[in-house]
Amino acid sequence: MLPIVSLTLFLPLLGAIVIMCHRNAAAEKVHKIGIITSALTLLGAIWMWVRGVADPDMAGKGFAQVEQIDWMPSIGAAYRVGVDGISLPLVLLTALLFLLTLIYSSKVRKQPQAFVVLMLILETAAIGTFTALDAILFYVFFEVSLVSMYFMIAGWGHEDRQRAAQMFFIYTLLGSLPLLLAILGLYLGGETHTFDMRVWIENPPLEGGAAMLALIAMLFTFAVKTPVFPFHTWLPAAHVQAPAAGSVILAGVMLKFGTYGLIRFALQMTPEAFREAGVVVLIFGVVAALYGAFAALAQTDLKRLIAYTSVNHMGYVIVGVAIAALTLDPEIRAIALDGSVLQMVSHGLVTGALFFLVGMLQDRAQTREMDQFGGLLKTVPLLGWSFVLAAFASLGLPGLAHFPAEFQIFLATLREEPWAVIVILGIVITAGLYLKAISQVFLGASNEKWKTMPDLDRRELLTLGPLLFFIIVLGIAPSWVLDVVHQTTIALAF
Amino acid sequence: MANDLALMLPEIIVLLTAIAALVAEMLRQPRVAFFVSITGLAVATMLTLPLLGEQATAFSDTFRIDTLSIWAKLILLPATILSLLLVRAELGGSAREGTAYVLIIMITLASLIMAGAGDTMLLVLGILLAGLGSFALVAYPRTDAATEAAMKYFVFASVTAGVMIFGLTYWFGGTGSTLLSELVILEKSPALAAIGFIAVVIGLGYKAALVPFHFWAPDAYEGAPVSIAAYLSVIPKVGAIFALAQVVRDLPVESAWQWIIAAVAVLSMTYGYLAALGQQNVVRLLAYSSVAQAGYFLLGVIAVGSSPLAFESLIVFSAAYAAMNLGAFAIVMQVGRTLEAFKNTGRQFPMIGVAMVVFLISLAGIPPLAGFVGKFLLFGAAMEAGFTWLVVIAIINSVLSLAVYLRIVVPMYQPSENEVITTDTVTIPLVRQVWFAGLLLTVLIGLAAQFLLGSIS
Repeated sequence: MLPIVSLTLFLPLLGAIVIMCHRNAAAEKVHKIGIITSALTLLGAIWMWVRGVADPDMAGKGFAQVEQIDWMPSIGAAYRVGVDGISLPLVLLTALLFLLTLIYSSKVRKQPQAFVVLMLILETAAIGTFTALDAILFYVFFEVSLVSMYFMIAGWGHEDRQRAAQMFFIYTLLGSLPLLLAILGLYLGGETHTFDMRVWIENPPLEGGAAMLALIAMLFTFAVKTPVFPFHTWLPAAHVQAPAAGSVILAGVMLKFGTYGLIRFALQMTPEAFREAGVVVLIFGVVAALYGAFAALAQTDLKRLIAYTSVNHMGYVIVGVAIAALTLDPEIRAIALDGSVLQMVSHGLVTGALFFLVGMLQDRAQTREMDQFGGLLKTVPLLGWSFVLAAFASLGLPGLAHFPAEFQIFLATLREEPWAVIVILGIVITAGLYLKAISQVFLGASNEKWKTMPDLDRRELLTLGPLLFFIIVLGIAPSWVLDVVHQTTIALAF
Repeated sequence: MANDLALMLPEIIVLLTAIAALVAEMLRQPRVAFFVSITGLAVATMLTLPLLGEQATAFSDTFRIDTLSIWAKLILLPATILSLLLVRAELGGSAREGTAYVLIIMITLASLIMAGAGDTMLLVLGILLAGLGSFALVAYPRTDAATEAAMKYFVFASVTAGVMIFGLTYWFGGTGSTLLSELVILEKSPALAAIGFIAVVIGLGYKAALVPFHFWAPDAYEGAPVSIAAYLSVIPKVGAIFALAQVVRDLPVESAWQWIIAAVAVLSMTYGYLAALGQQNVVRLLAYSSVAQAGYFLLGVIAVGSSPLAFESLIVFSAAYAAMNLGAFAIVMQVGRTLEAFKNTGRQFPMIGVAMVVFLISLAGIPPLAGFVGKFLLFGAAMEAGFTWLVVIAIINSVLSLAVYLRIVVPMYQPSENEVITTDTVTIPLVRQVWFAGLLLTVLIGLAAQFLLGSIS
């Protein structure tokens, strides 16, 4: 059997090495290598998808396509990768977003080599985070992504990039170190000293107070990463200063590290403690969702606005995971988790599209302030309608990507903790803020300044097309993703 | 006797190397002295390899040939060779070049004696021998700053050594022996054990630059040539830490030695990084960073006897620390001592930029580099020993450390106002070799730590 997971995982790294070896290559060539590499990676991810998550011999303990090699046998760490229904959709999303980002960024002329190399390293780190089945390996990829993102923001960001980059790096490192503590606790607590995440999921090594402490450490890590109010303050700064490509990856892929970790580590490795703390997490989720929506409402900067809606959307995911932890009914748990995973994918697609669109607007106008625009729908209809579509998807309009996800989360919430359904207010607020944004930027009197604004070109259409396509497809027929997710979530038992 | 000599063969070779290099220097042949030194140290490293796995003592238990002392040789001897290359690049051609090599080899010998000490007298001998060489090396440039730094260093050393010897008399009084292995007797008189141990911590803490015995370090490193600072920040420090591990192996837990170590660790890590935050001089910044790193080492020392990871973590982190710290100092030699000098280097010299970033984020403990594996093992060891709270403090300090190291990374990718600076960044082949070796090792130890772990256990 071809080790397709490892191939997909290290292909971007290989591309990065190839680029580093051609030190004097022209910018076009560098971008071409980057795009080809990430296209091949996407093919690899599709191949993984075709192979599916049904484990033929059940040796993977819930995981399929497991590949492993000894790494540090003395301490029980190994290179172990594999996928299940929770990680596979995220891998596919990651591969797609990176390809589109590299296509979109093919205009970058400022140190293109370093840019593409960082992007590709980031792609390996992201896919690695989702496929790692060894806690050390997971942590390694988790941290490498921070380093690459730091240089991405510091090197290609906007006005105040140095400060934002440092804040991002230090804040998220502060966030991720407790995870290291939890990993060590799980390692030392187990009967056999191993870092195999499958073993930890099968037999949670900690219980009682120790498990609760580990859970708190993990919750802190993933709350910073997701981010959950009040640990979200790095997010707007990082997003606003990051280049559009960086924002797309940050929101589309890296925020999912938080919610993915929440399911993979917190929910699966300390289920009992999570059940006890479930209500607290649920409250955090509800507050995050509502706070994100209200904060977004107050923004005048379009990019900040979208950044805050991320807090809102990821809040729903937290709610879903908390419901899954609280419930004793496997059916409700499956619905909640299906919704959460689908929400992560939808959010990647929708927010990815929105950040691309804001980037395109900024390329044209050099500003992101909403009151600077007006009537753009007439001047740049393609860009305008794309934004409207993505915005409607983001506010959860039925028929578009977020609806089936949020619907399932709310359904599960209603059955388990009915009071938490007040989170649904978030949808009303997001609807209001997007309508406000659309009317300010794209409707109304058109501003003379932008009369000559060009509409989307081929490169931009190529970037947005697939995203908008999948936003509609997921909205109308989400089952092709949900079936894969459901195979895993229905089998979860704790 | 013959067997004892055979077990100590590497140390004897190091001593002979120092003598041979001294003779060559007296004949005014610094080049020969240099090559003799390198060859001698390389031979001593080779001769250590057959000893791997040995657990023995020499000269009636006074010197230990065990995992720690063997790995001290395997790490410190190659690290000394790298340091000698740096010294050659910086001081080559100066009037007393060869003496620097001789002194360095003597200090390395002293560090090896400390790392294998099985007797308090050997410990004292190691500290004094290392001290004597270090004062001379720091004062080598004969500038005001260097002389002042050496003087400070000397006074500090005299006081701490005095206190240490005074404290050791309590142990001698309690056990009737200078052997460390006899310390178990003190189980019933914990106060006596504690007094002696505090004195040892003062003596070794000064060598390892632990807070609050670190005051000499930033001044000495700043006054000394950069290559000497690089050397002093690695070899004697590791020797002293290993010596501490040798001492606590036999110390009864009742003496609360773990709590003394924990307190010093917290102070070193926190103060080291806080002080580093305010530095404008990169050498001083790295000096404070090495104070903090010494605090991390103590997480391994604390676990000696209660966690099987203790020795492994100490050894892996020493190797990692030697590689990344020497590498970082080598880059400083090439680029300059001020933060200003680092402006724009990352863009102009991509390789130097990448290397320095790798060293710094490895020092901060970010995976998949050597520093991460080392710290990860240290954290694991301390947690297994029941010091989770200490690991939490170490982790918080890791965040602080990132802020410290980013202070160097940020200017590297900022455009420089005066482009002139770059002209004095001459590429010295020897220096480049050193940081390249450091880079390779930092990455390799990170990815292939199993190679070390496998041969330790």
